[in-house]
Amino acid sequence: MTDFSTWDILRNLLLAARWTVVLSFVAFIGGGIVALLILFMRISRNRFARAFARYYVELFQGTPLLMQLFLAFFGIGLLGIDVPAWLAAGVALTLWTAAFLAEIWRGCVESIPRGQWEGAGSLALDYVQQMRLVILPQAMRVAVPPTAGFSVQVVKGTALTSIIGFVELTKAGTIVTNATFQPFTVYGLVALLYFAICFPLSKYSKYLERKMAAAYTHGR
Amino acid sequence: MTYVFDLGWLAQYYPVFLKGVAITIELTLVGGVIGIGFGIFCAWVRALGPTWMRPPVAVYVELIRNTPFMVQLFFIFFGLPALGFRMGELQAANLAMIINLGAYSCEIVRAGIEATPKGQFEAGAALALKPLQVFRLIVIRPALQRIWPALSSQLVIVMLGSAVVSQIAAEDVTFAANFIQSRTFRAFEAYFVSTAIYLALSICLRKGLDYLGFFLFPSARTESR
Amino acid sequence: MKRRSLFSLALALAAGLSFSLSAAPGARADGLETVMSSGTLRVAVPQDFPPFGSVGSDMAPQGYDIDMAKLIAEKLGVKVDIVPVTSANRIPYLQTNKVDLVISSLGKNPERDAVIDFSDPYAPFYNGVFAPADLEISAVEDLSGKTVGVTRGSIEDLELTKIAPEDATLKRYEDNNGTISAFLSGQVDAVATGNVVAAAIIEKNPPKRPEPKFLIKNSPCYVGMNENEPELMAKVNEIIAEAKSDGSLNAISEKWLGIPLPAEL
Repeated sequence: MTDFSTWDILRNLLLAARWTVVLSFVAFIGGGIVALLILFMRISRNRFARAFARYYVELFQGTPLLMQLFLAFFGIGLLGIDVPAWLAAGVALTLWTAAFLAEIWRGCVESIPRGQWEGAGSLALDYVQQMRLVILPQAMRVAVPPTAGFSVQVVKGTALTSIIGFVELTKAGTIVTNATFQPFTVYGLVALLYFAICFPLSKYSKYLERKMAAAYTHGR
Repeated sequence: MTYVFDLGWLAQYYPVFLKGVAITIELTLVGGVIGIGFGIFCAWVRALGPTWMRPPVAVYVELIRNTPFMVQLFFIFFGLPALGFRMGELQAANLAMIINLGAYSCEIVRAGIEATPKGQFEAGAALALKPLQVFRLIVIRPALQRIWPALSSQLVIVMLGSAVVSQIAAEDVTFAANFIQSRTFRAFEAYFVSTAIYLALSICLRKGLDYLGFFLFPSARTESR
Repeated sequence: MKRRSLFSLALALAAGLSFSLSAAPGARADGLETVMSSGTLRVAVPQDFPPFGSVGSDMAPQGYDIDMAKLIAEKLGVKVDIVPVTSANRIPYLQTNKVDLVISSLGKNPERDAVIDFSDPYAPFYNGVFAPADLEISAVEDLSGKTVGVTRGSIEDLELTKIAPEDATLKRYEDNNGTISAFLSGQVDAVATGNVVAAAIIEKNPPKRPEPKFLIKNSPCYVGMNENEPELMAKVNEIIAEAKSDGSLNAISEKWLGIPLPAEL
């Protein structure tokens, strides 16, 4: 039997934390791309696209991420497609992230005053041009702080992938606990490592929010 | 091999799901009521409370908001016994949900309190009300009304997040799915059914909270409906 | 408007409950062919079940089952791909074709036999109930009023569910990590697990020592594989028989269990 020093515990947790970070990136970037698609469907003039986007968001926000992971992992496998844990984790987290980001961004687009649309329309810009030149650039500025804030939720969401067997920070924590019998130390360290990843993101998002609020009031 | 979607096991195992639903609802209700109550208290401390109490509450809020719920749950259930605090899985799950929701609702409610116009505090003071009375009688209700939608969403998120309490053997809906899966080897169907149950629960919860808001904040009725 | 969309969504889902999905992943070739042509044997092993499978301080899997997986791959002349799984999801891994074999201290029972096939046994395993020395338990009736931790879906879970007294509480954890942690942190009075698992825990001098109380079942471990793979089955059995006669299985047993391979296996 092997013996773990505290350094061994921390080293193994740090190594596993890499995968938490990688998975968070994948989910955040992939989710951002899918969210854009959903967003455009949600605000498009096509009724079916709008309905699809609404159901999509409703479904992914209305069911536990854990269930989405289980279904992605075991469900797709039953169709005869081999899904390794990391892929199932990546796909489920991407789709889940997309649902939330799409809603956040929709709020930002809708916060743009009607007059902006009307003004753009009166300049004879077509729908795509209105979006691209007038609405999106403004909406994007508003969207940055809540998007940065949501990245914290993504990082924490990756903890659930441990349940389908993806070895990231939380899973490493449970494995190491069983090799060391020191749950207090191990889970304490796991929590601190998550905090070290998430806290700067939270702070950054708050900072952006304040900066924007200040710019907004001065601008008037 | 042809895969046939089979729900035949439901006839035998549906009581497991019923029990799971009862536990999930119980956890959500207890966690929701106490958690939001605790959150309101923390929000009061952060916005208006005594200065010495603010840093510990701020640390609590940041710690909880920046770590995964599952890790908090494991820490309470597996870690705390090392310090002599031992509790059953349902108590641990309840406690974890209260602590988690408390931190989130603190921030939400605080935003509602801080949006209160200054004049309302001044008016309260002019009526010779003590600060706590001003908070209780004047500030809190409109503040809650302002942030009710955000608070409702957070409660739905916490309910869905409770799926992980099955990891400490609390017998909720997810536990039911895992239990049935390990008996029938119908993994996909078990998760499919439990996902549908969660969807129904979250729709009902949101609807219920809408109605609750309707009764709690009569003044909102004319505005939004 | 919004509310109505929620309801129609729920309705659509309810309608979905009655569909019968028949996705045919193509007639699957015998597992042996797949393994030989890909040159890799994918084996599900435990990572939370010492001495059958756990991790060293470098997080690499090690144990009886891992050595067994390596042995079979070596005899087949292919590379081995070690896939760590939990007790609860090892059979879904096989069913969803994520692995070719399950070598995960898997015991045989009718429920499992209905969905997968078993090779000849390759390791001894006795499961029982374990608890600290000061807890008086000598038979299953003594569990009355006690809480017992088991790993969900394990043989201990299935057997104990049948025989445990009404007022004994079974706590079912997702994996062995949960079960063992729950015992060591005092969340349950006793655990039902394998004799060798308990021995491995005691060896590490834990705060609570799981001493043997009574035997639930003699349940040796088998290699699990998907049904209707006669060639893979024949090959695996051939390798197990060979390993038993040439002493290599005995060596694995000596190394991890500290005892020679029992003759009755």
